[in-house]
Amino acid sequence: MLNYIIKRILWMIPMLIGISLISFFIMHLAPGDITNNEASFNPKASEESRQKLREIYHLDKPIIVQYGLWLKRMVILDFGKSFASHQKPVFWQTQDKDGNITKGMIQEALPITLMINLLGLAITLILSIPLGIIAARHHLGWQDRSITLFNFVGFSIPGFWLSLLLMYWLGVVNNWFPISGLHSLNYESLDTWDKIKDTFAHLFLPVVIPSITGLAGITLFVKNGMLDVLHQDYITTARAKGLNERKVIYTHALRNALLPLITIIGLSIPGLIGGSVIAETIFAIPGMGKLFYDAVLMRDFPVVMGILTIGSALTLVGNLLADVAYAWADPRVRRGVAR
Amino acid sequence: MNIPLLKKALSNPLALSGFIIIMVVLTLSMLAPFIAPYDPNDINVKAILLEPSPQHWLGTDGLGRDVLSRMLHGGRISLLVGLVAVGISTIIGVLLGSVAGFYRGWTDTFIMRLVDVMLSIPSFFLILAVIAFLTPSITNIMIVIGLTSWMGVARLVRAEFLSIREREFVMASRTLGAKDARLIFTHLLPNSLTPIIVSAILGVAGAVLMESGLSFLGLGVQAPQASWGNILTDGKEYIQFAWWLSLFPGLAILVTVLGYNLLGEGLRDALDPRSNACK
Repeated sequence: MLNYIIKRILWMIPMLIGISLISFFIMHLAPGDITNNEASFNPKASEESRQKLREIYHLDKPIIVQYGLWLKRMVILDFGKSFASHQKPVFWQTQDKDGNITKGMIQEALPITLMINLLGLAITLILSIPLGIIAARHHLGWQDRSITLFNFVGFSIPGFWLSLLLMYWLGVVNNWFPISGLHSLNYESLDTWDKIKDTFAHLFLPVVIPSITGLAGITLFVKNGMLDVLHQDYITTARAKGLNERKVIYTHALRNALLPLITIIGLSIPGLIGGSVIAETIFAIPGMGKLFYDAVLMRDFPVVMGILTIGSALTLVGNLLADVAYAWADPRVRRGVAR
Repeated sequence: MNIPLLKKALSNPLALSGFIIIMVVLTLSMLAPFIAPYDPNDINVKAILLEPSPQHWLGTDGLGRDVLSRMLHGGRISLLVGLVAVGISTIIGVLLGSVAGFYRGWTDTFIMRLVDVMLSIPSFFLILAVIAFLTPSITNIMIVIGLTSWMGVARLVRAEFLSIREREFVMASRTLGAKDARLIFTHLLPNSLTPIIVSAILGVAGAVLMESGLSFLGLGVQAPQASWGNILTDGKEYIQFAWWLSLFPGLAILVTVLGYNLLGEGLRDALDPRSNACK
C-alpha cells in the first residue's frame, strides 16, 4: 500500500511540470506580451504597472530563464500580489514589518468553494445512489425509463439557467431564500443559532443547484455499475442459496457496484472546481470561482495564474486521494500493485 | 456509414427524436434572416421590457429589442460555435489519437501524458484564462473550446486503433506491403468512425453549453451580437421584472443540447454491436 502511494505521488511530478508548461504557454498567448494586452484593456495602465508586470514575470529575460523562474514560483507557491486588489497576496497570508497580517486571496476563497462543493457532492450521492439502484432493479421498467428521461434533461440543462429560474421562483417570487452573498447584512448582530440558519439559507441555492445538475451523471453510473454486478456469478450464487433480494442487493451487489464511484468522484473534481465560476458568480459567493472570474475581467494576471495552478494542483490531489481510497477499498487493486 | 446503418440508427426512438429536434433548430436558425419578425439589433425605446404579446411573441428586452428575433439569430451563433469547436477538437483528437494508437511506444506515452495533464486542468478555468489573455470574440471562443476538448476523442481513437490494429485484416494488409498511411486511412479510421461520430455529436452538446455559459458571463459572444447565453445575461439583470427574458433562451439551449444528447446516445445504442446482441 505504501509503495503504491509513493509511486502515485512521484507520478504527480511530471504532471505538475506539464501543468506548468501549459500555464506558461497560456501566459505567452497574448499578442506581443502581456503588458501590451493589459494596456489595451485598461487605458489607465501606467508605464509603472507595465514595468511591474515585466518584473514579476521577468519578461526581459530569455524565454528559458522565464520558464525556470515560473516553475520555481510554482514550486514555492509564490504567485505574487494582486494588481487589482490593493496588492493583496494571491495565495497565502504575508506579514509586513509592523506585524500586520494580510490574508491571501486564495487562502480566503478556497475553503468556501471546497465547502460548497463537498456539501453539493454529498447531496448528489445521497440522491443518486438510490435512484441508480431503483433504475437498475427495474431495468427497462417505467421507473428506469423516467430516471433515464430525467438523466437526459439533467445532462442537457444549463446550470446557470436552472439557477436563474430557481432564483426567480424561490428567491424573488416566494422570497424563501436569499439570492446573493454568503451572509445577511445584519449577520454580525445575530446570535450563534441565527448565524447558522442565516448561512444555511444563503448556501441552499448555490449548493443544491449544482448537485441537481451533477445528479444525472452519477445516477447513470450507479445504474450501469449495478447492472454489471447483477449479472455476476456471485450474485446468482447468493440468490441460489436463498438470500432475500434485499440482502443480495444491499450487501452483495451494492458494495461492488459503488467501488468505481470513487474514481468517478475523483475525475469529477476539475468539473466541480471549474463549474464553481458560474454558480458563484450568479449567487455572489466569494469563492475561487468568483475570484477567478473577477480576476479575468480585471486582467489581474497574478491571480489568474495562481488560481489556474492551484485549481490544477487540487485536481491532482483529488485524483490521488481517489486512487488511494480505491486501493484501500479494493484489495484486488492493492495486491495488483504490491506484486 | 452506409444507408442501412443510418436507417437502423434512426429507427431508435431516442436518436430519431434527437434528429428531429436538431433539424428543426437548424432550419429555424438558417432561416433566421427571413423569418425573424424584427431586426435583432433594432433598439426601440417605446417597447422596453414588453411581456409576450401578439406583436412580440416572446416579449422584448431592456433595449426594446424583439426577443424572438434575437433568439433566432442567436441560434445561428450558438450552433456555429458548437459545430466549429467540435470540428477543431475532433480533428485534433483523431490526429493525436491515431498517431498514439498506431505508432505506440514513446509517441503514445507522450500524447497520453499530454491528455492526462490537459484533463487535470479544470477546463472552464483553462478557457477563461486563455480568454483573459486574448480578447473574447466568436473566433477566439470557437478555437479555445476546440483546443480544450479534444482529449476524449484522442483517448477513444487510440483505444479503437489499439484493438483494430491487431485484427487479421489489418495484419493481412500489412503483410501485403500496405504503407502506414494506407493502413490508417483505409482500414483503421473507417472502422473507428462510429464512436468518433457519436462523440462528435455529444461534443456539440457540450460546446453549445460551454458557449452559452461563457456568453452568459460576458466572456463569449459580445453585445450587440445576440447569443442564447448573452440574452440570459440580460435575463439575470431584469429577473425581477421580466421572466420571459430568462425563460425562453434557456429553454432553447436545453432543447438543442437535449437534441444532440438524444441523437448521440441513440446512435451509440443503435450502432453498438454489443447492445444489439443483448436485444
